[in-house]
Amino acid sequence: MVLADVVSNEKRSVFMLCNEAIVRGAIEADVKVAAFYPGAPTSEVLDTFSDAADYFDYHMEISANEKVALEVCAGAAFAGLRSLTAMKSVGLNVASDTLLVLGYTGVRGGLVIVVADDPHAHSSQTEQDGRFYAPAAYIPMLEPSSPQEAKDMVKKAFEISEAYRIPVILRTVTRVNHQSGIVQLEDIKRTPYERVSWSSLNEQYITLGAVAREKKLKMLERAHRIAESFEKSEFNTLIEADTETGIVTASVAYLYVLEALRMLGLESKVKVLKLGTTYPIPKRLLGLFLKTLRRVIVVEELSPFIEKEVCVLAKEVNPKLEVYGKLSNTFSEAWEFNPDIVAEGLASTLKLPYATFSERLHTAQKLKMGLPDRYPTFCAGCPHRATFVALNQALKIQASKGMRHYFATDIGCYSMWVFPPISHADSSLCMGASVGIANGLAHAIMERPVAVVGDSTFFHAAIPGIVNAVHNGNKFTLIVLDNSVTAMTGQQSNPSTEQTAGGKLGKKVSIEAVCRAIGVEFVEVVDAYDVKNNVEIFRKALEFNGLAVVVSRRECALYADRNKRRKGFPITPYSVDKAACKRLYTCLRTFYCPAYELDEDRQPRISPELCDGCGVCSSLCPLSSIKQVKA
Amino acid sequence: MSFNLFMCGVGGQGLVLLTSVIGDACARSGLNAVTGEMYGLSQRSGTVSVHMRIGESVFSPLIPYGEADVLMALEAVEAVRYIEYLKENGIVLMNSRIMHPPAETAHLIADKNAKYITLDDVIGRLRKWTRNIAIIDALNLAKDAGNINAENAVFLGCLSTLKAFPLEANILKASIARAVPAKTVEQNLKAYDLGRDAAYRQLCKLVDCRENV
Repeated sequence: MVLADVVSNEKRSVFMLCNEAIVRGAIEADVKVAAFYPGAPTSEVLDTFSDAADYFDYHMEISANEKVALEVCAGAAFAGLRSLTAMKSVGLNVASDTLLVLGYTGVRGGLVIVVADDPHAHSSQTEQDGRFYAPAAYIPMLEPSSPQEAKDMVKKAFEISEAYRIPVILRTVTRVNHQSGIVQLEDIKRTPYERVSWSSLNEQYITLGAVAREKKLKMLERAHRIAESFEKSEFNTLIEADTETGIVTASVAYLYVLEALRMLGLESKVKVLKLGTTYPIPKRLLGLFLKTLRRVIVVEELSPFIEKEVCVLAKEVNPKLEVYGKLSNTFSEAWEFNPDIVAEGLASTLKLPYATFSERLHTAQKLKMGLPDRYPTFCAGCPHRATFVALNQALKIQASKGMRHYFATDIGCYSMWVFPPISHADSSLCMGASVGIANGLAHAIMERPVAVVGDSTFFHAAIPGIVNAVHNGNKFTLIVLDNSVTAMTGQQSNPSTEQTAGGKLGKKVSIEAVCRAIGVEFVEVVDAYDVKNNVEIFRKALEFNGLAVVVSRRECALYADRNKRRKGFPITPYSVDKAACKRLYTCLRTFYCPAYELDEDRQPRISPELCDGCGVCSSLCPLSSIKQVKA
Repeated sequence: MSFNLFMCGVGGQGLVLLTSVIGDACARSGLNAVTGEMYGLSQRSGTVSVHMRIGESVFSPLIPYGEADVLMALEAVEAVRYIEYLKENGIVLMNSRIMHPPAETAHLIADKNAKYITLDDVIGRLRKWTRNIAIIDALNLAKDAGNINAENAVFLGCLSTLKAFPLEANILKASIARAVPAKTVEQNLKAYDLGRDAAYRQLCKLVDCRENV
């Protein structure tokens, strides 16, 4: 249904996720190249591009990482093609090397970079404010608050990008990306996809030394021109009121402000300046607004980015202006906003009576006492769970011989190993860092470092760490959990998948061949489900005097099940034979499958609607009491 | 006029699809709709929540605390987890199904005296917030409809009986038919009907419902 709306030629109102609206906007704007590495909360941008690939002639790919994705788009934009990439906040950290150079070189075709911050770290390792990249790179930035605005801004961003020959950042936050709303579809006007004759373009994209110094001056001048044009941008809107109190806000915080004003009965009683162009800041517009005020409240996530601009401007245009925001501790720099937090901040600043929400939360908290937590966990049938059961047994055997370990996990489904009831990891940082960290630990601790990465992380950021280990002789064990897809973000393809974006056939890159080519002397490939045999292989890998790599392979259960259903293969659940079960709980104690619970006799019971039929638990039971249900 | 619906459940129960069905029905009814969706880290078995806001004067994608007209929980324990969003004496529409997370089971194995949380315990907690609690055996109704994955359609059927819910049955059903795989349309529509009938038997004794036609 949603795909039908994304590709529809009708000009009607539809209900869309913001990430889908971004894609629709790009398609309406005749985007030609799109490249991504998946990451919440932007993954649906990639998925929608992938799903719609059959309907249009754009080239779309899932790249090895965000830096490559940005470079794919930059390459196309150098030649004049409109291109778009989307990445999560920490993805831009990876791509930032290229981003900061693109500020110098510029582009020819429109290049739009969607960057999604994740206030509250809902699905990220850090909360960070990616807006600071825009001034660092002198690259203009737009901030939408809703799906409709995101779609409008994507289209405008292509125009700005081409007018000033510079990439444009569309900065979102999780509550924008994962917000759905009513979106007006407009005309899709596509031109045929055509290659460009590079030699006829007379373009050059170079920056170094003297060239860089020259370009820096041009970059500053360009930023000035863009700021001038943003003074009249339709994305900066003002709600007037007969008062000396005003609010400056942007992004989803604008919607919280509108909601909070409704909650406080202050609709049309406070001025609101909503900024859609947050770099370069339209200083004249902002200055004129500040001049009319006695006090201003800045409502933004996460850092006091606009607030500092307000403070600097106020010094010039209205030195007595009272500025409230994060610097005044009216709001915290930590975590995301919601309507209640904003309402409370406004009420306290305006000295209005407001029944704070903390009492309500306190009552709710009392009702939740002792409620079972539902931590993120591995799916039924997940091969990672089986790998960890075998690895843990191997680690225990080694520990009984006095050989202990350090466990470095990484970013992917397997990072959920840190949550209860397992809670096992010594470190978990960012993409590929487990391998880099293990290189250092190999020289610092007496224990054996064990690093874990997934297949997608392996290609994204782990390979340089392996090269480093081989070259420098750093000794540790690396487990590569190869489930054939980038599972955590929705089972997208990666170099370990036989398909590329849009379901087209792609060449699978062999992880073990890469490791052997680098010169790793211990490389073993195992079936993740084969717990019994894997224990001994993991143990050998822990003892190996050098870098040892074990590739534990088995398709992601969700991905495999989808393929099975497509081909009409049955998924047959297992069940526990109550007569044979002696409540040893071997199936549960080490395995923790979500398809399991205890029945009224406290015997393990498998929910047939949740069981994936992987059979790993059956292989763990010493009494052979878990059997596949006969079809 | 506005209608605030807070939906929650466990990953894999089809909340995302349910959201797009209701949203599509809004778009086709000329109604404004805004949502805030939270899927969690895990693909399955984690907690999932959706703030769904329909009508005028709704701005934020998140419902303010205490402003949800209906808290619809596709898994019973999850209803308590988000209770702060429900308004005083708002409606809880809840599955009788409890999906015990692995951490809770681990606790039972470690402590012989520990017991699972029960539906009665959940209801007892919810009653301290509201008297309007309707419990639906959605899994069995979905099985009766011929599709174990159609719990979400059962719940939409329940929801459709409420007087405050602003969408018409024919539009909802058309949106279901557009959203689900072609071979499951009939089962999902059956699940919707079974959910609606169950609501008329139980929910509508507690709260204002549309006339059962």
